[in-house]
Parts: sequence; structure tokens; C-alpha cells
Amino acid sequence: MTDDRVPQVSDPAGATAAPSEKKVNLEWIRNVSVLAGAALLFIVFSVLSSSFYQPANLLDILLQSSINTMIAVGMTLVVMTRGIDLSVGSVVGLSSMIAASLLPQNLLLGIAAGMLVGVVCGLVNGLLIAKLKLPDFIVTLGMLSIYRGFALIYTDGKPIYGIDPIFRAIFAGDLAGIPTPVLLALAIAFLAFLLVRYTALGEQIIAVGGNEEAGRLSGINIDRVKICVYAISGLLASLAGFVLIGRVGAAEPIGGTGFELQAIGAAVIGGASLFGGEGNPLGSLIGALILGALQNGLTLLNVPSFWQLVATGVVVILAVFADQATRKRQ
Amino acid sequence: MQIPNVDSPSTPLLQLRGITKAFAGVQALKGVDFDLRAGEVHALMGENGAGKSTLMKIMFGVQPPDAGTIEVHGHGKVDIDDPRHALALGIGLVSQEPSLVPQLDVAQNIFLGQTEALNIVKRDQFQAKAREILKPLAPQLSVTTRVSSLGMAELQVVEIARTLARGAKIIGFDEPTSSLTPAERDGLFTLIRQLKSSGKGIIYISHRIPEVYAICDRITVLRDGKVVANRATVEVHPDELINLIAGRRLAEELQQQAKSDLRLDGPEALKLEGISAAGKLSEINLTIRSGEIFGLAGLVGSGRTELVRCIFGADRKDAGTIYVNGKTLNIQRPTDAIAAGIALIPEDRRKQALVPVMDVERNFGLANYGRYAPSGFLRLKQRRQDTERYIEEMAIRPRRAGVRIRNLSGGNQQKVIIARWLQSGARIFLFDEPTRGIDVGAKFEIHELMRRLAKDGCALLVISSELPEILALCDRVGIMREGRLVQTIEDCSGLTEDLLMKYASGEIARL
Repeated sequence: MTDDRVPQVSDPAGATAAPSEKKVNLEWIRNVSVLAGAALLFIVFSVLSSSFYQPANLLDILLQSSINTMIAVGMTLVVMTRGIDLSVGSVVGLSSMIAASLLPQNLLLGIAAGMLVGVVCGLVNGLLIAKLKLPDFIVTLGMLSIYRGFALIYTDGKPIYGIDPIFRAIFAGDLAGIPTPVLLALAIAFLAFLLVRYTALGEQIIAVGGNEEAGRLSGINIDRVKICVYAISGLLASLAGFVLIGRVGAAEPIGGTGFELQAIGAAVIGGASLFGGEGNPLGSLIGALILGALQNGLTLLNVPSFWQLVATGVVVILAVFADQATRKRQ
Repeated sequence: MQIPNVDSPSTPLLQLRGITKAFAGVQALKGVDFDLRAGEVHALMGENGAGKSTLMKIMFGVQPPDAGTIEVHGHGKVDIDDPRHALALGIGLVSQEPSLVPQLDVAQNIFLGQTEALNIVKRDQFQAKAREILKPLAPQLSVTTRVSSLGMAELQVVEIARTLARGAKIIGFDEPTSSLTPAERDGLFTLIRQLKSSGKGIIYISHRIPEVYAICDRITVLRDGKVVANRATVEVHPDELINLIAGRRLAEELQQQAKSDLRLDGPEALKLEGISAAGKLSEINLTIRSGEIFGLAGLVGSGRTELVRCIFGADRKDAGTIYVNGKTLNIQRPTDAIAAGIALIPEDRRKQALVPVMDVERNFGLANYGRYAPSGFLRLKQRRQDTERYIEEMAIRPRRAGVRIRNLSGGNQQKVIIARWLQSGARIFLFDEPTRGIDVGAKFEIHELMRRLAKDGCALLVISSELPEILALCDRVGIMREGRLVQTIEDCSGLTEDLLMKYASGEIARL
């Protein structure tokens, strides 16, 4: 077969350059506007409050965003498969309660049990969604209630005080002046980035979200991919729970309530598309930082925390709106 | 190339002048003029990527042009904001992929957007109207049927009816017959003629040259974003038309239906025994030898697609045995079929074969994770090299592994899918409408590729609704009707489209 028989996609001069760059541009515009929004946020808060841009406060934002980052990374992977995990907040609560109760016996046992609970919660979500073909939204909404119920039943609603100091040093301590939650969150975001970029599972996640049927007809085990992302989401939620109880110094059965919205918000601001197939764990890090900065700034300006809830909701909906507008154009 | 002047006896319904568009993705229009008169059927032809779709999108308000003017009779120069606006100007489009609401019935879909149609009190009235519109198109179609239970062909009929119901003066048809049976197609042609005589203007996009000669008065050919011809149909010989479209001397090549040497002596590659699936397939027996191309003809809904999907494990079968290379194979899901060296190239590329957000390289690798990630980690360098090798060998354009697959033309996308399965080591290829929506030049290349596969000893099962394609490719042809393989033809030389269709529809009992 010779070249000249091939139908030209467009004129030879334009064909090499034109095709993808416009699409890239659209994504680029989106990314730039997210960063511009972040910059604007930073400038506005810095002007309104002189303590906002102090290094100590910036480090505080990083620290405050670390829990959300960890959950948002898992959420991003789920969203990339065109799914959603609304149960993460309850998984935070349940796994941290289990861990806290076993820590006095043995540090490693507590950590292992907590992580196991997170993974099992995720597996249950994934199995119900993949094998029984139940809608992800309903399954994880139901599980939000069930896992929270278990957390409350476990101690009859009572908190567990006195978290092991070594545990606290690991999950809420400092390493060379940097808080360990920040390091942990960064490491998780980076590992997830590597997963998406350099592993078969990562690509299969994109394929499942991008076109499940094409993936199935190409021999990808769709169920396995879905179960994997929910399990990862559960695991990361349990780690976030460790950071939470480490910082607070106690475990509460209602810990983690409402975290799902924050995580979805961070994922979408970070470029994950609710239409599936697109997203970046490093983006969700940025998304979490933007939400964290917003809350931190509003606190410094003495905006009541009730209004912060409103602001967060507005930002999340705006991000989804921007996502939808961008995809439609494409 | 000079554009021959065609006299214009009446004022055009629609006139586009100097339309230019640099548009996200591949096509660009470079100063295109186009006009449509009342009472004419005007064919818009060109290869994928020539700018046809972009021009259509501009006419129907999906995309604004960068430059140029659009003049609509009775409205003067207009900027068309969106499809609704286009409709208000009397411009309607029957799109290639029906966009209907599956939960509503036929009548409700035809009057979609008119809230009254959902009103129970007025239901009878709307149903009667719908019946009237459908009469010349598909008299047997009940207006109270839920759209979700309709087949592809019927969906398109409803889509056509819907545009008619909105009283459009200018109606665009984008490949309207690709899923229609001959009877439905004739019904459509009758309808188009009626529309024409009532003074409407029809824009007809099709790759099928015989159809254009059957129905169109004038042909505009686009190539590389420019108009290369605007001629009366009677003035253009089909060979010349092919040359205008492809820009090369393809006619001779297309006509040579290079029949291979008899390939019926290879070992049995695929054998089906008593394959049945409730309501879809009954008792299919079939043997395909290595080196053979076996064609499956029949109407849409006769069970051809269902059969290949069953073989591939995409759908369940209720009974029957599949032998691959003489061994019984228990195929439960696609993975089992792939492991046995079976590949499915499905009919709807975009929905069933491609991940549009991924680039060419990743789409190529989709069935090959076993090879490129045996440990779970991707061997990106190796995959990139292999992709580039296939791009060279199969002349895939653009020549870049990193470009998103949705930016490729249909023919190039199909090549990537074939490359995917070649790399996976498949030896049995199930092709479902391998060249649907693919332009003439690329079609020829895909056919060449398929012949080469057979020559290399692969077994090919090819579904096609185009008899010329079957005749050009296949050693034997099976005809399916109502889920049964009703006859296998060893010598296809006497086969004509008419005869085949009569047989496939049950009009005649034997060939």
C-alpha cells in the first residue's frame, strides 16, 4: 500500500499540526482558569487579611487540605471510571473507630485493621456496583448510611479518647519541619499519578470511563477495574481517617461526616470529568488546596462556618458546571 | 479546478458563500459556496475529512462559520445560532445517529418538544398525525410503540418523521440509508420525491454512489475543504465522480474485484454447531476455513450482528458449540474469545470499539495489555514503537501515535482497530460492516487489508449490507433471515442485489 492512496485527513500542511492542538487548548484554557481562580483567591485573601500569606498559615492550609487530598485522590480514580463514591466520609469514621479501639492492644494491629476495614468497605461498594450492576450513586449512598451506622453501633455512639502517641507521631507529626499528613498526601497523589500514567490498571480506568463497551469488547475485565477503584477509594479514606484521629487525638463515630462533597469538589476542580475517562490525581491535589485555601481564608475573615458550607457548595457546583460546559464544546 | 456553472432557474432556498472554518479537530473549509433550490435534491459528497460534516454543522447551526455568509430564502442573511434556530428558519436535519427519547413512544418522539404531544387528552390527535406522516415511510410501524424497542432502521424512520413533522423547508439527510432495508430505502426515496415535488429542498449526504444517481439532481463534491465540482447529476459519469471524490484514479481499482484463489482447502478455523439464542438465533451451523472470507448477508435484524456477538462472547448463547481449530471452546465472555485468537471489529466504531478520549497508541494497545504490561507496568517504549510500525505499514493518517483517536477519519480509525487485533495475534476475524461510513479510498484499503489477512491464513467472517462489498471480498456467502442461516452460496457470480434482497426478506424461497 502506498501513501498517496491514503485519504488525507485535511490538507497536508495543516494535518500534522492542527488536529489535537485545539482540543489541548480547550483543556489548557480550563487548567489555566483553575489556576487563575486559585491566584485570584490568594490575592483577594492576602489583601483582606495580612495573616493569610504568612508561611505558617500557608503550611496550615497544606495541613488542613491533606485529609481531603487523600480522599479526593481515590475519588478521582472512581470518577474517572464514571462512578462516584459517596460513602468515603463514613468509611473515614468506621475505619478510624476500629483502628482507635485496637491501637491500645497493638499499634500495627490497629493500623492494619483500620486499613483492612477501609479496603473491605470499598470492596463491598465495588462488588455491588460491578457484579450486581446496581447504580453507583445509590449503592454508595446506602453504604454511607450503613458504614456510619456500624461506626455508631461499634461503641454505642461514644468517642474513643487517647490515641497512641506513636500513631499520632506517624500520622499527625512532623518530619524535618513538614507535617507528616502533608507528606503522606503528596506521596499518595504522586503514586496515583504514576498508577494512571504507567500501569495497565491506570489506563483501564480511563478506558472504562471513556467507553466501557469498547473496553469490554477489547478484553478488559471491567468488573475488576471497578472493584479496584472502589477498594483504593476505601483504603485512602481509612488513611485519611488515621490523620483525622491523629490530629484530633480522639476518634469519633461521626468523624468524616460530609467529607464526600469536599472530595468530589476537589476531584472536579482538579479536572476529573463526571462524564468519565478524564482526570488527574495531581489535579485533585490542586483542587483540595483551592478548597482548603477558601475555607482558611474565610475563617481568617471571621466568616461563620455555616457560610463556609454555602461557599464550598457553590464552588463545587461551579466546577461541575465548568466541566460540563467544556465537555459539551468538545 | 473550474466549477462548471449551473443555471439557476429559481431563487435558492439556501445560499452559502465563501464559508471558511478552522474547526476544532481535522476539517477546515476554505471558501465554500453552496446553494440549494426549491424542488431539488442536492447531493453533498466527499471523503471523510473533506469538510462535508463541517459544512453540515454550519448549515444546521451546530457550529458558526469563521467567515462567509448564509442566506435563507425569506429571511435574508442570517447567523444561525443553534439547531433550534435553524429549525425556526425551516432547516431540519435527519442525523446519522438518531437522537430519540427511548422511554417515549413513536408519536411522542415525532412531536418531541411540543408539550401538547404529551397531553393525554390530545393523544389521539397527535397519534393520528404521526400515523399520517409515517404512512409513506413505514406503514407497519405502530405509533404507540415505545422507541426503546425499535431497531436501528425503525429509529431512523422515526427520526426522519420527526423532522418532517416540524415542517422544515430544507431537509438534510446524513447517510440516511446506511441502516435501512431495500424496502425502507425505496420508501424513503418515494418520500424524498414527494418532498421534492412539494417544493422542498433536500440536501443528501451519502457515500453510496448508486443512491446519489437514483435520487439526486445535482452533486456538489468537496475535497480538502474546497468545492471541486457542482454539477448536474446527469452530466457526471460515476467513474468521474469517484475521481472527483477521491482525487485519484480509483475507479479501475475499485472495479477489479480481485478474487483470490479458491481458499476452501485450509484447515477448519471456526466451526459453529447449533448456535441458538432465545428470540435471536436458532440452530446456526457454519464452518469457516483458514484463508477463507465468508460473507454474511441479510437484512438489518436478521441476526447477523447477534451471531458474531455470540461467537465473541459479547452476548449469551443458549445452546450450541463453538470449535476453534478443531477444539471445543467454552466462550463465556470476550476475554475467552480473545484468548482463542478471535477478534471482533464491531459495526459501531465509536460506541463499541474506540475510547475517544484516548490517543491512537492507547486505543491500539487496548486489547494488548497482556503484551505491554505483563507485570502491570506499561512498556511504553515498546508499545510506541509497535504503534509507529503499524502507522507506517497501514498508512494511518495523521502519522502520529499521540493524536486522539476521535480526530481521525473513519477509515483511519478502522485501521487502528484492525492493527489492535493483528497485534493481539488474532487468527479469526469477525468484521461487522467493516466499511460503514468510510469513504471510497479508505474502503479500498480496508478491503486490501482484509484480503491480505485471508492470504496469511486467517479466517474472516464478514457482515455487510452492501452486496458489492460481499462480492468483492467473499469466497462464500451465507444468507440470514429471522435468526436462521437459510442458505450458503458457494458461487456468488450470479448474485444480484435484487435477488439477494428478495431472498433475504423471504419474498422468494430459494435462489
